[in-house]
Amino acid sequence: MATNALELSGIEAFYGDSHVLHAVTFACGPARLLGLLGRNGAGKSTCMNVTVGLLAPRRGDIFVFGHRVTGLPPEQIAARGVALVPQGRRIFKSLTVRENLVVAARAPTDGRPASWTLETVFAMFPRLGERVNHIAAYLSGGEQQMLAIGRALMGNPRVLLMDEPSEGLAPQIVHEVMNTIRKLKESGLSIVLVEQNPTLVFDVADDIVILNSGRVAVVSTPAKLKQENVDLRQHLGVF
Amino acid sequence: MTFWLVLTVNSITFGGLLFLLSAGFSLIFGLMRIPNLTHGSLFMLGAYFGATFIGGYLTLQFDFWVAAVLAALSVAVFGAVIERLLLRQLPGQQMAQVLVTLGISFMVADFCLLLWGGDPINVATPQGLAGFVRAGPAVFPLYRLGVIAIAAAIAAALWLLLDRTRLGAMIRAGVDDPDMARVVGIRVSQLFTIVFALGAGLAAFAGVVGAPILSVYPGLDQDMLPLALVVVILGGSGSLLGSFVGSIIIGFIYNFGQALFPELAYFVLFLPMLLVLILRPQGLFGRFVP
Repeated sequence: MATNALELSGIEAFYGDSHVLHAVTFACGPARLLGLLGRNGAGKSTCMNVTVGLLAPRRGDIFVFGHRVTGLPPEQIAARGVALVPQGRRIFKSLTVRENLVVAARAPTDGRPASWTLETVFAMFPRLGERVNHIAAYLSGGEQQMLAIGRALMGNPRVLLMDEPSEGLAPQIVHEVMNTIRKLKESGLSIVLVEQNPTLVFDVADDIVILNSGRVAVVSTPAKLKQENVDLRQHLGVF
Repeated sequence: MTFWLVLTVNSITFGGLLFLLSAGFSLIFGLMRIPNLTHGSLFMLGAYFGATFIGGYLTLQFDFWVAAVLAALSVAVFGAVIERLLLRQLPGQQMAQVLVTLGISFMVADFCLLLWGGDPINVATPQGLAGFVRAGPAVFPLYRLGVIAIAAAIAAALWLLLDRTRLGAMIRAGVDDPDMARVVGIRVSQLFTIVFALGAGLAAFAGVVGAPILSVYPGLDQDMLPLALVVVILGGSGSLLGSFVGSIIIGFIYNFGQALFPELAYFVLFLPMLLVLILRPQGLFGRFVP
């Protein structure tokens, strides 16, 4: 069996006393796109925080291409080739567009030449190239999202985590972002895409994991879910 | 007229010294949120080190500027050790940080008293800057003008470092969002040590540069710390421009206050701080933190 790009195994995580992840186990294969779905508070972002090292799990393990990264500090997990496009974008607001990208630059972990540089990021997002010396705080929401994606790519990651990249964006921009994600997947990147909106994810995902109240409720593929006509509202609906 | 002119030059000189002292204080507070109450002690420690290197007590006698750089490096190492061994253990605990840094400042004061005694040490003005400059009826000590030039040069260098280099951008990214900075791979922990050491070294350098004007004496630390606090509160923490403008303002208020209302000097000094705290708590150039 090929090594998984990212594997969470039996993760138990807490915020203070509140138990937010219960034995969460799932894996994203190399060059595959895993859609991680669930309603608000289901634990999707907590999975992201645990994976990048911002929250230490109380039990369980995380593997990146077979290497155990559980409990490593965030900067060392980044060095193993994990990058995050965080919820709410969290770009460095007082830095310029160029600085936001440059501070995250890193050579690929496996010694290949860097495929993501300022030039290639600007080629993918020409609008960022036009605003290279602008302060990031003054970019539009869509531009900030592109910057957050560009910043993650500058680390030349092997696993890309994207936490609700469509949040708060106009439909046209969401469409652009989804096209970008498709291109990144075609380039061979392993991607975990967190979303609340299942229709966006079903278009691009190879695999689907649905979280419900901090537990893995469904592990499947978009095709199977459609074929079985599973009622997603049970897991994703507000009621 | 001469009186005002001399007072103005003295104000700018003192402002320059205050900038060297408070730039590090501001960066440490802005980036690491550590209220470093040892900062006055680092200034005094630098001054004592410098005086010792210059005075030839260590069999070797150093040139003034070599001594200043050596003192800055020694105190920078001392600062890095404090940061790594003590402050690192207390992340985010500001009350504990206040107490620890205050405690260290008492220990440094005692240590200095033990080693250098209670008598003030006078440090000679460096060779080449000992003369005077005559401008009409006014006479300025050349050294004071030199201090202004040095402070301006260091301000420019710090600005270049913070604003024009990748390291500076990483430091600012760490100020903006420390967690996210770590997630993109920035070793924020190392940056903290670098910033702390840089701030400590600058304070020590200021201590040596200020020594020919202020001399070196027990209590110098407690004289300087409140001034650094006022500058940073006035200018806004984490802002180099804020430290610069705040230092010049306080330099003027301090000198003019002492000359014109000597009995109210401290009142005049702290009044603007109170006003800023009430009207603009983030300081003149600080970033608004809701």
